[in-house]
Amino acid sequence: MPFDQAFALSSVFLAATAFTGLVLAQSVPLWLALPTAIILTISLLHAGGIHFVRQAMARVTVSPTLWNVLLIGALAILLIDLTVVSRDLLPAGIHFLVMLLAIKLLTLQQRRDYRHLYGISLMAILASAALTTDAWYVPIFLLYMLAAVWTLLLYHLTQETGETPAAVTPASTAAGQPTFPSRITHHFFWLTNGIAVLTVALTLAIFFLIPRIGAGMLQKTSGEALRTTGFSDRVDLGTIGSVKQDPQIVMRVELPDQPAIEKDRLYLRGLAYDQYNGRSWSHSGTRRRSLSLVADGTFLARPAGSRPLGSRSGTIRQDILLETLDTAVLFAVPFAELVSGEFLTVQADAMGGLHLPFPPSSRIRYSVTSQVPQLVENERTASVLAYPDSIRSHYLQVPLESQHVAELAHRVIQQATTPFGQTLAIQQHLLDNYRYSLEGDTATLSHPLEEFLFTRKTGYCEHYATAMVVMLRTVGIPARLVTGFLATEWNEYGGYFTVRQRDAHAWVEVYFPQSGWVTMDPTPSVSAAVTTSRWESLSRLGESVRLQWDRLFVRYSAKDQLAVVHGVREGSDALRERVRRWVSSLSAPISQVFSRLTHVARTFQPGMLELVTGVIVVGLALFLLMLRDRIGLWATTHLPTAHPELAIVQLYTRMLRTVERHGVSKPPAATASEFARLVEQEWKAAGPMVADVTALYHQGRFGRNPLTPGELSRAAEQVGRLQSLPHAAR
Amino acid sequence: MNSAHTIRAIQDNIALVIKGKSHVIEMAVVCLLARGHLLLEDVPGVGKTTLAHSLARSLDCSFKRIQFTSDLLPSDIVGVSMFNRQKQGFEFIPGPIFANVVLADEINRTTPKTQSSLLEAMSEAQISVDNQTHPLEQPFMVIATQNPAEYHGTFPLPESQLDRFLMRLCIGYPALEEERKVLARPHSLHPAETLEAVLSAHEVLALQTRVDQVHMEESLTDYLLAIVHATRQSELLSLGVSTRGALGLSKAAKALAVVRGRDYCLPDDIKELAPIVLSHRVMLNRTHGMRTQSFEQAERMVLDIVETVPVPV
Repeated sequence: MPFDQAFALSSVFLAATAFTGLVLAQSVPLWLALPTAIILTISLLHAGGIHFVRQAMARVTVSPTLWNVLLIGALAILLIDLTVVSRDLLPAGIHFLVMLLAIKLLTLQQRRDYRHLYGISLMAILASAALTTDAWYVPIFLLYMLAAVWTLLLYHLTQETGETPAAVTPASTAAGQPTFPSRITHHFFWLTNGIAVLTVALTLAIFFLIPRIGAGMLQKTSGEALRTTGFSDRVDLGTIGSVKQDPQIVMRVELPDQPAIEKDRLYLRGLAYDQYNGRSWSHSGTRRRSLSLVADGTFLARPAGSRPLGSRSGTIRQDILLETLDTAVLFAVPFAELVSGEFLTVQADAMGGLHLPFPPSSRIRYSVTSQVPQLVENERTASVLAYPDSIRSHYLQVPLESQHVAELAHRVIQQATTPFGQTLAIQQHLLDNYRYSLEGDTATLSHPLEEFLFTRKTGYCEHYATAMVVMLRTVGIPARLVTGFLATEWNEYGGYFTVRQRDAHAWVEVYFPQSGWVTMDPTPSVSAAVTTSRWESLSRLGESVRLQWDRLFVRYSAKDQLAVVHGVREGSDALRERVRRWVSSLSAPISQVFSRLTHVARTFQPGMLELVTGVIVVGLALFLLMLRDRIGLWATTHLPTAHPELAIVQLYTRMLRTVERHGVSKPPAATASEFARLVEQEWKAAGPMVADVTALYHQGRFGRNPLTPGELSRAAEQVGRLQSLPHAAR
Repeated sequence: MNSAHTIRAIQDNIALVIKGKSHVIEMAVVCLLARGHLLLEDVPGVGKTTLAHSLARSLDCSFKRIQFTSDLLPSDIVGVSMFNRQKQGFEFIPGPIFANVVLADEINRTTPKTQSSLLEAMSEAQISVDNQTHPLEQPFMVIATQNPAEYHGTFPLPESQLDRFLMRLCIGYPALEEERKVLARPHSLHPAETLEAVLSAHEVLALQTRVDQVHMEESLTDYLLAIVHATRQSELLSLGVSTRGALGLSKAAKALAVVRGRDYCLPDDIKELAPIVLSHRVMLNRTHGMRTQSFEQAERMVLDIVETVPVPV
């Protein structure tokens, strides 16, 4: 098959694939789909070199004006469609696109037309991608890609060899395109298909790899999960300190429903600990229960049937993107009510910690709806609180040798009368009398708490929190230690908190019988002094871009991919069904359109008049715009002017413009005859007209007498012929 | 007689002798019709003299040839006043300049003094000797030849003298095929001698009057002046074209229009003639101080300048 024929064929095939995509997205009504399909078939047959089609097409010659009229008609239909029929941009736009496609197929002559066809096809395939989530789109898209590779290769080759593509329209067939020796060899065929297949394979590979790359190689340099501390069953005092310098990002927390929330700090609770042995914290109860599933992927976090305790300040919904960590803990603002994500099961321990069965292998995204507990007013002032036994047995335990601590605690709370007041007093004592410092490794000390309280008087969150818990317990107030992250880094561009390793934190939960566990933090705020330099701001912007990328591309997870693969398999059945339905509905839409038209006619309102007038005016304006050359020609020759000698100059400049549109422009220093010779070289078809007009121009412009009306109209006629010439094949 | 036909006839006539040089012949005819004088500049032996001879022969006019040598005196050209005993007074004996066509062969071989004796004759078409003014015959045309390759013992024409010539033409070697035809010709006679006159002096004068009537549109005058002005503005040239040069170009363009069978000028006429009419009137900047400059260089400069001037539409 010669290149030019293959080129035309693959171009039409490309358009056909895109059109099929639109049709299968059920976005093309039948009245439009049927003629377009017929035109496509004819074009395919014609480009494929079926003899009698070519012959039949060669007999039909249509002026370019008709195509312009058709185009304006399509525009008018778009307007009507937009305002009366579909009243929506997308369907109306798609109808217009299909009409353009059909018109372009019929006027396929020049390379420019082919480029337009590609543009329309691309838009069509994109539109169908936007309209459908169905699986049949995959094979269509693959076909489109194959055709696109073929077409672009052939386009380039035909361009390079300077060939004119065998046009699908009769005009160039009649002109008798010379046949070129370059044909599609076996070698070329396999090479092109190889490239196409390679492209598809690479795309698929990237498609399947990106989520894994995102979660794996690109995110971590070592290829391991982020090392986290403090989220196992046991926490040694002094371990968080080692990660407090690490700027590695652990998670990003969006707060989608709370635009007005205080954006300065957010406690993300991980695990709670109740047993302290003087050196390390641990859980007493290791039993976990599986959360009950309330909806697809949504789990109820609090025990079924239980009512939230105390007064609630409101719910906070968080969307959390959690990096791969070496822990199975899910973090959330205390206390989680609902957890939703792509999990099979979520477990909760007795102290409200959320766990996955095993650490996730890739970054995960989940959302949590939390109820933030607040102290009930009467507990704030109550002097005695009655704690249930289960709480007393668990949360009043202290290490054996804590007399010193107890003495200190009692000293501190002397002034306070209520448990809440005592709690505040202890918190205030810690805040006031101890210095925050990350220095000093207490992990090896035998009594790290005493060391912190009485000797060093410097420490960090773990020390503060442990001290507060132990002190509270020695005075009979149930409390526990909580580890997690304290998010302070608000990204104003993306609207989320960035949580880093160094935001790891430990704080205190104090129990009040009616209010439940209330969050307290005795650690002085050091991260309050967040620098807001421009550089920081810039880095936050970059961060936000990364999150967007993650959301749009990387989030497309392995599960989604699997769904696509399954969908392809199931989709083939659905496709058959759909085609059957589509074919059976062949007759229906015509009457439907008719009834819609009658409906429109019946509901004709005064406002319609303006609309119709508007459409007519726009159409007329376009029509005049299109015919302005002709009108101008007529005017220069027929209307009396003050300077009849200028008529030929006007005609000549009009001719210059026309020729310039075809890529041959007159250098300013070239004389008219030199330009005529140039045109003769560059654009042979226009040569005689230009030469004739030039001669008349010479005579009328520089001669003694102005041209006669007869000569003028001859010049006008030549310019008109020039304008209706098909574009120069260059 | 039809002017187009006569002009065609004279060109064809000259072409019988000068083979393959139709453009040069056409320009020579243009020069004749524009009442201009022609300077032929080329290496020896390419037909300078033959061209002049043929042109003169084709016209039914008087023709004189002056071979310029270093010892030639002005009086050898214009003539002398001699005492006539019978009449008891001085009698002017006209020199060879008193002819319709004068061939000044190797004009740069004579002294500036003798060269300048041509000045009045060329610009005023008259001769003043001893306070007496003698008008020259009409039509009057000087065809001078010079050899640019030879400098020894030559006196290159000063600018003022060059400016008097309407055109400077270079003939160039003929093409191989044309040269073969020249060789195939019988040598018994000088080829120009065999030519018959096709145009009378009266007809030449009529054609020259017709040239004056050629219509030059206003914008073309502007175009011509723009070209002349550009030569004066150009940094490539130290001397631009004089007003006489502009006038010459205008006349030549009109003559070319007549030769091409039109009664109006086209931009093409001006553009085509500009190098031929203007290039000997300009001085190149880089050759400033040198008396000689190559014909081709100047012509290329003028061509470059013309290509920068927009043509009126």
